[in-house]
Amino acid sequence: MKVQEFMKTKITSVDADRSVYDAVEKMVDRRIRSLLVKFPGKDLNYGIITARDVVFKVLAKRLNPKDIKVSEIAAKPVVCFDKNADICEAAALMEKKKIARVFICDGNKMIGVISLIDIMAGALIMRARGSHVF
Amino acid sequence: MFFEKIMSISKKEQVVTNNMRKLIKLLCSTCDLFRKALEKDDRNLMRSLIDLERESDSIRREIISKIYEGAFLPYLRPDLCRFVEIVDHVFDVLEDIVLYYLDGKIPEQIKNECIRVAYLNLKCCEMFLITFEAMLKGNDLREKTLAIRIYEKKIDDIKFSLIKDIRNIPINNFWEGKILSDFISGLTSISDIIEDASDSLQIINVSMK
Repeated sequence: MKVQEFMKTKITSVDADRSVYDAVEKMVDRRIRSLLVKFPGKDLNYGIITARDVVFKVLAKRLNPKDIKVSEIAAKPVVCFDKNADICEAAALMEKKKIARVFICDGNKMIGVISLIDIMAGALIMRARGSHVF
Repeated sequence: MFFEKIMSISKKEQVVTNNMRKLIKLLCSTCDLFRKALEKDDRNLMRSLIDLERESDSIRREIISKIYEGAFLPYLRPDLCRFVEIVDHVFDVLEDIVLYYLDGKIPEQIKNECIRVAYLNLKCCEMFLITFEAMLKGNDLREKTLAIRIYEKKIDDIKFSLIKDIRNIPINNFWEGKILSDFISGLTSISDIIEDASDSLQIINVSMK
């Protein structure tokens, strides 16, 4: 089963020069745990900021999220996967890199994101189809 | 097969189960054609779906009349008829959205998401066919119906983002907006109806045991 079948196509992003406060506002407002960070320049110049980064790198250290830029705590580069890659390969990569989501690309264009819950949904569907690969 | 053994299948029952299979396969083909027509923006292909809806009506009539001629035990007949009516309702909704499509134009901003929903609808229908075949074999349907619910949930998520997106699309008049809104609500309700049909299948499966 290909990752594109299970990816989410809505990717919420934030510009790298915005404050962490802006990013938190977006995450809480949309009830999401991560944002794609857009750095200026060429295609695929992206990073990622997660709720974990915000809490551990800013809030737990009692820093003011309005004083810190997203670019200072974002992880870069993001892990990208081809849209035709198999869902099992994505799961293995997530396990190896200890990450909860990978972005899906079509050439130079980012088209979606797949997270742990999507992998689990995919695994259940494969079982129902009779192909147990996990 | 299990279903056939339990029901001490005769020719009438055989005709009914074969026609039910035919109806669900026709549903898969219709969803596939719809997806292709939407992807290619092929209005002629889209128009041809209306004929498939008529074909489904005739299969439904044949199934119902065979059931009332005495196929299956009487306590099962209302559930079987209800199941067929639900499947037929999917064809009705598909026909409606075809007409909305032909009447209006899908804005480019939401076209990709609409194609994605059409693709997931097709996958949901394929899973529904697998569920039906599993029921005929007497297999447990739990994993299959869960997979249908996963597809339905996924489409539901896209539906809410589509509803948000269309608020930003300029609309020229009331009817243009209504047609677009009805198209989206029809497109995203197909998986809901398939989910209802799979629940109905589960009821039939349980009541046979």
